[in-house]
Amino acid sequence: MKRLGFKLPSAGLFITVLLAGIFVLLPLGSASEYSFRTPMFGPGTYGWDNYAWFVSQPDFGTYVTLSLMLAAVAAAITLFVLVPTVVWLNLRGQRLRPLMEFLTLLPLVIPVVALAIGAQTSLPVELQSNQYSLSFFYFVLALPYTYRTLDIGIRAIPLKTLSEAARSLGASQIKVIALVLAPVVRGAVIASVFLTIALSLGEFTLTSLLHWQTFTTWVTVISQSNILGAIALSVFTIVAAFALLLVVGLVSIRTKRRQVTEE
Amino acid sequence: MAKPLSSTVDKGVANSGALVSAFARQIVPIAPILVLIVVFLIWPIVNVAAKAFEDNNGNFTLDNFVVASQGVYAQAFGNSISLGIYSALLASIPGAAFAYIIESRGSEFLKRIINSATSVLAISGGVPLAFMFIAAFGVEGSATVLLKFIGLDLYASGFTLFSYWGLVLVYCFFQIPIMVLVFSPAVQALRKEWTEAARSLGASKWQYWRHVGIPLLFPSFSASFLLLFASAFSAYATARAMTVGTIALVPLMIGTLVDGNVIVDQFNLGKALAIGMVLVTAVAMVPYLLIQRRVARWQK
Repeated sequence: MKRLGFKLPSAGLFITVLLAGIFVLLPLGSASEYSFRTPMFGPGTYGWDNYAWFVSQPDFGTYVTLSLMLAAVAAAITLFVLVPTVVWLNLRGQRLRPLMEFLTLLPLVIPVVALAIGAQTSLPVELQSNQYSLSFFYFVLALPYTYRTLDIGIRAIPLKTLSEAARSLGASQIKVIALVLAPVVRGAVIASVFLTIALSLGEFTLTSLLHWQTFTTWVTVISQSNILGAIALSVFTIVAAFALLLVVGLVSIRTKRRQVTEE
Repeated sequence: MAKPLSSTVDKGVANSGALVSAFARQIVPIAPILVLIVVFLIWPIVNVAAKAFEDNNGNFTLDNFVVASQGVYAQAFGNSISLGIYSALLASIPGAAFAYIIESRGSEFLKRIINSATSVLAISGGVPLAFMFIAAFGVEGSATVLLKFIGLDLYASGFTLFSYWGLVLVYCFFQIPIMVLVFSPAVQALRKEWTEAARSLGASKWQYWRHVGIPLLFPSFSASFLLLFASAFSAYATARAMTVGTIALVPLMIGTLVDGNVIVDQFNLGKALAIGMVLVTAVAMVPYLLIQRRVARWQK
């Protein structure tokens, strides 16, 4: 039978996934190999020395902790400000959606370097001298991704019908939110929180231009004294991010599957 | 669309303040996020825009823009814009093809994994990415060695990673994932019924693409292309970590001005450059918004 448009033989899918694998693994694998080289013990030798080196740096723990704290605050803002906003927009605030769509696109239009200059000249000193102001910037910079992830995920769910059904069965407003709405939007919420964390941990431009030192900017500092150490640290960062995403991906699959079976 | 308003009026607050109060009721729940966006995005940029028109004594001037549009700065704008265009060209087509194949053929599991992976590559990139490429595609990198082994000698033609084209190559590594991320929803919205309808009317595969598939996907494709352009045009971290000021790019120039590494006569030159960048990305994003609005009509 003649096949049209949509169906591709699984060989095509296999080749695509293979190419994607090469695209990711060629640089990553090659960089990993490089990061295990130990030229100080002669050519062709390998070991964990570059990894041991950056872990033993006294600043390592400091900056890992700091970056995680900043990411946690940014994630909390996403959770407590963005999630309720998007839920509300989908329940009652239809008219304001175009406005929010436009506003959350702005971080892509405004280059981060431009924002950095603006932050330096316009924000009060008390705000600028507090490191946690970075978390608020990270939250804003992640909006183009987090808002869309949440909106797509939540729009697919008939929130209004669900909440009305729960209310008509006598549930209080709090119960509606905690027992009905929160569980169904969980997948999209996890994904958007994760995106905020990924952006926060990797943000470099604004952080360095506002003269803060975090885990990411620290990598460029150590690269000046030990390039192998910096490469090892970079590989570690990317692999850690991938590991984290795998966990998140599997969790959201499990929630989705349960939703499907519950239906 | 006007339902929330009229229902409020029905409830008996039909006086002149009803419209205002209905609007207030709409805006209050989103007030926290509006405050954050204003304080941490809009206010700083408005400030930059205002200061860009000031000379060192705070008087109005256009000199900053005059200098920003000449000589080395004009060249930097040219480089940044072409970097944006080339990396968007190179990333959009494979990204779109990949998104199409995964969305139309992949299992739910594969789609989820790819979605998470592309998010991470698109969003967290920057500095670690630069070092990864330096290790892999440097002269001694094993990727270089491997490619040479299969007959692709990167360095034979004078290529270096720290050049313009090296940067384009590295940018693809976050540009393609961005493309997959933003183009996938468009592919998801292509309905199977349309393929079947075309087939039942006797369309060939080519005719389907010529008259249905491509016309439907093209607006989203161009919108994604513009997004990629804006992303590469304003990227800073990767370029900063990879080139040590060897290529004139606007974000890097603004960066050195902000750092105070370079002293220029005009304090506010960096702000004029920044506004120049905002204008370029705005020019790219206006058609993006218009296209998205059009696309939203059939993507329901």
